[in-house]
Amino acid sequence: MIALIRYQFTVLLLSQRYLAPLLLFLGLVAVLTSSDTGPLPATYATVSGAMLLCATWLTMALAGLEDPAHRSIVVVSARSHLRVLLATVGTALMGCLLLTAGDLLLRLMFGPRTPHLPDLILEVEAQLTCAFTGVAIGLVCSRLVFRRQGNALALALLLLLAALVGKGISPVNIMFTRLLNTSSSTEVLASTSLQLAVAAVLLTAAMAIAQAIAVRKG
Amino acid sequence: MLRCEAISKRYGRGRWILRDVDMRVSAGQVLAVVGGNGSGKSTLLRILVGLSRPTSGTVSGRPPHIGYVPDRFTAHERISAISYLTHMGRIRGMSASAARARGDHLLERLSLVGGRNAPLRTLSKGNTQKVALAQALLVQPDLLVLDEPWSGLDASAHGILAEFIGEVAARGGAVLFTDHREAITKKHADGAYAITDGQVTWRGGRRARDRASMVELVLTMPSSGIAPAEVDWYALPGVVDAARRGEALVLRVARGQSDAVLLTALRKQWSVESLAEATDEPVSSTGVPSTGVPSTDVSSTDARRNTR
Repeated sequence: MIALIRYQFTVLLLSQRYLAPLLLFLGLVAVLTSSDTGPLPATYATVSGAMLLCATWLTMALAGLEDPAHRSIVVVSARSHLRVLLATVGTALMGCLLLTAGDLLLRLMFGPRTPHLPDLILEVEAQLTCAFTGVAIGLVCSRLVFRRQGNALALALLLLLAALVGKGISPVNIMFTRLLNTSSSTEVLASTSLQLAVAAVLLTAAMAIAQAIAVRKG
Repeated sequence: MLRCEAISKRYGRGRWILRDVDMRVSAGQVLAVVGGNGSGKSTLLRILVGLSRPTSGTVSGRPPHIGYVPDRFTAHERISAISYLTHMGRIRGMSASAARARGDHLLERLSLVGGRNAPLRTLSKGNTQKVALAQALLVQPDLLVLDEPWSGLDASAHGILAEFIGEVAARGGAVLFTDHREAITKKHADGAYAITDGQVTWRGGRRARDRASMVELVLTMPSSGIAPAEVDWYALPGVVDAARRGEALVLRVARGQSDAVLLTALRKQWSVESLAEATDEPVSSTGVPSTGVPSTDVSSTDARRNTR
């Protein structure tokens, strides 16, 4: 599994397809938070929104990176479709974690305020929730599932919109509503953990869909 | 080894690409799959290596190490040839240094032009095909599946590819390849399956069994009663199995080495009871009745059974 993730990460780095989502994320974070003086949870909500977008983009780029022939060689070498899919998800999540780490570091160094431990935990939770949801959307709309990338892109935009505005259904929307209506991080820690768990379930479901379709299309 | 039973495949509600395909691939065999463009050769190979799931039917006995070369290996990656092979070796469980060394060795033999450190996407079609071939051979495969491997390769690489196929078969691995040129399949394969309209039929081949198949050699005490000298059979090249069956000794020997083993046995005063082509199944007592005479004339090759 480590070898697979290493390989996919190398291919992603060399392809430079990670650059666009990375720049988008950094840009959004800089614009949204540099002069922000409101309550911290609201800031985390906006940054997580950027993460949702970038996670989807990164996953679609990563899954579409390899030529089908190359992917089949990797699948035969790894002796399972599922292992390769898990590695794709793992690589995408690792990319998201790097973004989160970069964001944390930048704001600890240059941010206008000093966050406390609950704030930091809340930020990681919120970003992971969005990363899970974003990777799930990206996976369902990737080349593994859709041959026509135009249709996939339209679906991805639709799903992203649904995730952002789907009141009471989308873990992202529920989390945002709570984060925007509170001023204390400790208050919303538990409810955010719950949404993180829901997002993890979403990701698992997306993986099951992608796996089933990839094997049948094979 | 590999066995498919009643495999059928279609995509969605499209036409049946394969219907009720039964196939058997034994260890040491080199088989070709022939058929026109779009006849379903590639689909069949993808099912055999486990990339695609048949709509119905089962594939059993897939060995652990499978080498697969797809028909098109168009590389857009910036990753270099040797680095790609190192990653593939690592995915197959090799250490990075072992994978790199093996990759270097294979690219050397295939005489890759364009440099092993050049990005894959700068290589020509033939050279990317060589990289594709090398990745399938990083770990000695039990089953090597090649989809139109000769296309794009130059004449010298043709020879190397034939060598690779021979090596895999000699080590007891099975090789399955597709090509639409009769001359190539005749030259390299021991037999061929032909696909027409989704039906697969056995076409036989140049040799009923391949060069790497096994010979079953049954030795007995000579009638003179002099006990033959003990021999460490496993020390002889090509001997894979030596078992007692009553009075007799049954050896399984690779076809290429059977003559040398036979000679040794005769020199050590053993008498040859029978010599037959071994089946894949465990040794069964179908030998020719004992002549009881120390036989120096090995005419019992007549006892060879054609298993097909």
